[in-house]
Amino acid sequence: MIHRLDVRTKMLGFLGFIMLSFLFQDPRYQLLILVLTGLLAYWIDIPQRKMIGMLVPLIPIIVSIILITGFTFAPERFDRISSQTILFYALPGERLGATVGGFLMGTTFILRLFSMMIASSVLTLTTSMDDFTQFFHKMKVPVEISMMLTTAIRFIPTLDKKRRLIIEAQKARGANFNDKGIISSIRSYLPIMIPMFINSILIANSLSMAMLNRGYGLSRTWTSMREIAFAPRDYWTIVLIVLVMTLAVFVRFRWHLGVL
Amino acid sequence: MELDEIAIELSNVSYRYPSAVEPCVKNVSLTIKKGRFIVLMGATGAGKTTLSLCLNGLIPQLLEGELTGQISVAGHDVRKTAVQSLSRVLGLVLQDPETQIIGRTVEEDTAFGPRNFLIPLEEIKWKVNQTLEKVRLKGYNQRLTEELSGGEKQRLAIAGVLVMEPEILVLDEPTSELDPIGRSEIYETLDDLRRKKDLTILLVEHSSEELIYKADEVIVLNQGEVAWRGVPAELFRNIPLLLQWGIKPLPVSQIGWDFYAKGWISFDEIPLDSLSAEALIRALLPKYGHRHARGQSKDRLLEQETHSPEKLTAVQVSDLTYQYSSGQPALRGINLTIEAGQFVALIGQNGAGKTTLAKHFNGLLKPTSGEVIVAGLNTSQYDTSELSKTIGYVFQNPDHQIFAATVEKELEFGLKNAGYKGNEIKERVEEVLHYTGLERLRSVHPFSLGKGERQMIAVASILVLKPKLLIIDEPTTGSDWAGVQTMMALIRKLHAAGTTIIMISHDMDLVAQYAKRVIVLKDGGVLLDGTPQDVFSSDQILLDSALIPPQLCRLSAQLKDILANETFIEASEFTALFESGAKRVCL
Repeated sequence: MIHRLDVRTKMLGFLGFIMLSFLFQDPRYQLLILVLTGLLAYWIDIPQRKMIGMLVPLIPIIVSIILITGFTFAPERFDRISSQTILFYALPGERLGATVGGFLMGTTFILRLFSMMIASSVLTLTTSMDDFTQFFHKMKVPVEISMMLTTAIRFIPTLDKKRRLIIEAQKARGANFNDKGIISSIRSYLPIMIPMFINSILIANSLSMAMLNRGYGLSRTWTSMREIAFAPRDYWTIVLIVLVMTLAVFVRFRWHLGVL
Repeated sequence: MELDEIAIELSNVSYRYPSAVEPCVKNVSLTIKKGRFIVLMGATGAGKTTLSLCLNGLIPQLLEGELTGQISVAGHDVRKTAVQSLSRVLGLVLQDPETQIIGRTVEEDTAFGPRNFLIPLEEIKWKVNQTLEKVRLKGYNQRLTEELSGGEKQRLAIAGVLVMEPEILVLDEPTSELDPIGRSEIYETLDDLRRKKDLTILLVEHSSEELIYKADEVIVLNQGEVAWRGVPAELFRNIPLLLQWGIKPLPVSQIGWDFYAKGWISFDEIPLDSLSAEALIRALLPKYGHRHARGQSKDRLLEQETHSPEKLTAVQVSDLTYQYSSGQPALRGINLTIEAGQFVALIGQNGAGKTTLAKHFNGLLKPTSGEVIVAGLNTSQYDTSELSKTIGYVFQNPDHQIFAATVEKELEFGLKNAGYKGNEIKERVEEVLHYTGLERLRSVHPFSLGKGERQMIAVASILVLKPKLLIIDEPTTGSDWAGVQTMMALIRKLHAAGTTIIMISHDMDLVAQYAKRVIVLKDGGVLLDGTPQDVFSSDQILLDSALIPPQLCRLSAQLKDILANETFIEASEFTALFESGAKRVCL
């Protein structure tokens, strides 16, 4: 179903989703959004292992985000009394207080991050490269830029494979990537980053040859594989998106719900 | 000769890369007629790739440098016609299929070229389907390009240029990154193309066996100059010439050259395939043979057994199974014992589990069930960084590991990781630089060197750790004959010094020649395990796993009745069947 939607509808939906997610600060609302996107992902049968594989490495970041927001959001930044409550102070002399609102905000950030990841996977998995190019074309984006973006998407799996091979090769030479501390971990990633850059440059180099070999750049335009056109389902979906957005704006600004 | 019969004409072409001192191509003058199938050969650095880039205008239009002389392709002056327009006249397929694929699906990718020429959609669709059929990818239209096999990817790359209907097709080592199946797929595709269309094909290639009867002509480049041109058979009979230019000779013609040198046969009788070699040996045996086949090979068996008297176990694999995270089994119940000091080759087609198995030996992969004990260490309890001190693993592509600014620093990396300090590091680096012949390159940037040298650096960077067990994955892909010789000589030297060697390779000639034990994997299980002689005489089983025994083993099988079921793997073993002129001491 989503696969067949017009790319413009999908992009509008994605935009709406982003706005929705930024309207609300309350983690409960974010959770609702996350569950909805999760259901959407489940419905179109997203590879779950892949998603989990993407999430697991983020755990340290998640923990640090919650901690940082917990301590750095001053009570004045919250509208509600309950959010302004200070749980405890990290430093003596009532400095660096941990606010309830801060922790809630941290949770919101995380949930927002998750739902964004899921939503963008849904978008990329259900939309062909050509659809994206069409979209850029309709939005009057220059051909060069849309070509750049679409090839970038095409080469993500290739570079990811390279990254895995590089890590294995360096591990076989005794590289250890579990070092603690920022400086040493940056240093330990150099043996991965440098070959990664070099390989990307090599790929880019031969890709540019391959593209010229196949006539790229002869004219500033090219044959469209298929004219995109709205179908009735697109109109229905757009109506739905607009309704949800209006409702969300009402909830947020008229009733002041979903804030902290 | 009419003008329109000439596909490619070069006169006095020289080219120098911007940063180079010496020109890479020197005074090349060539005329290639329409409809010919030409193979361009020569050692690495002979200028083959450079020449093919000149043909479609990437030199001088994309790459700067100094180009002199005239290049005309199907009547177009390469300097005056844009690369993009030339692509409808001359299609160029490059080495690595991965970087030539632009689209996400097969159809999207194939359509890329015609779309740039603003060909109407209906026509593009028709052309795409036609072309995909030509390269045997019919019905692949909606397949994702990233999920294709190596051979399929390269055929897609060929489709990508063919769809523009060029008159000339230039392929720059299209098979160097592929396994034997992928390779034969490409050759079959080229055969089809030749038959169906009046297409001029120029193929740059290292390997030779498949090409002898296919090509109309061979052109040999040597240090940027055309060194030889003629029919393939003539070149491949001339062993000294081949060696001089760094081209791999055919094993059977080496036997033939020996007979020719003794004056028993004429030059034209030097065999190029196992069938004619068989006939030749049968004809010559009654005249010059001295029925003594057994002694030597028994001798070899003896040598092998006395080689490792202590018989320490290097690798012990018991009931190893491994599943990918998708749940698909990759290895099913492998049991293996590899003794210290052995030279083992792992062979099998892509996806048979060779690399998966090898990655268990240094702990990059941990068994799903069963255990792997290497040098007394259970790999599931140790980290790869720990195991790397005793187990070396050299990967196929050196560019995945090189990151330092000099060769010397590159070698230090492993030692620093292992916790060595100051003088110890210096000494070991020094020793390995000397051992691998990289001394003069110590302060050179690795990426300014050729592929063969980078491969050597990758090996050296593992050798500094003095591993007791060395796993080496495809050490010779993309190397020329000379590079292969240097690499194998080094591996043999390490083996002689007592290092256990596990080599993964698709090159059956090398496996037969160097390994003492061959393990054939198929679908994640061990199919055959034995000496090269035993393994390579099991034709039928090998065929099932899409492996072709080396030429000389096939010859041995054909001469079964004479050799009493022995399998020979070196040309010298065959020539030893004959009187050598000089007196030969019988054992």
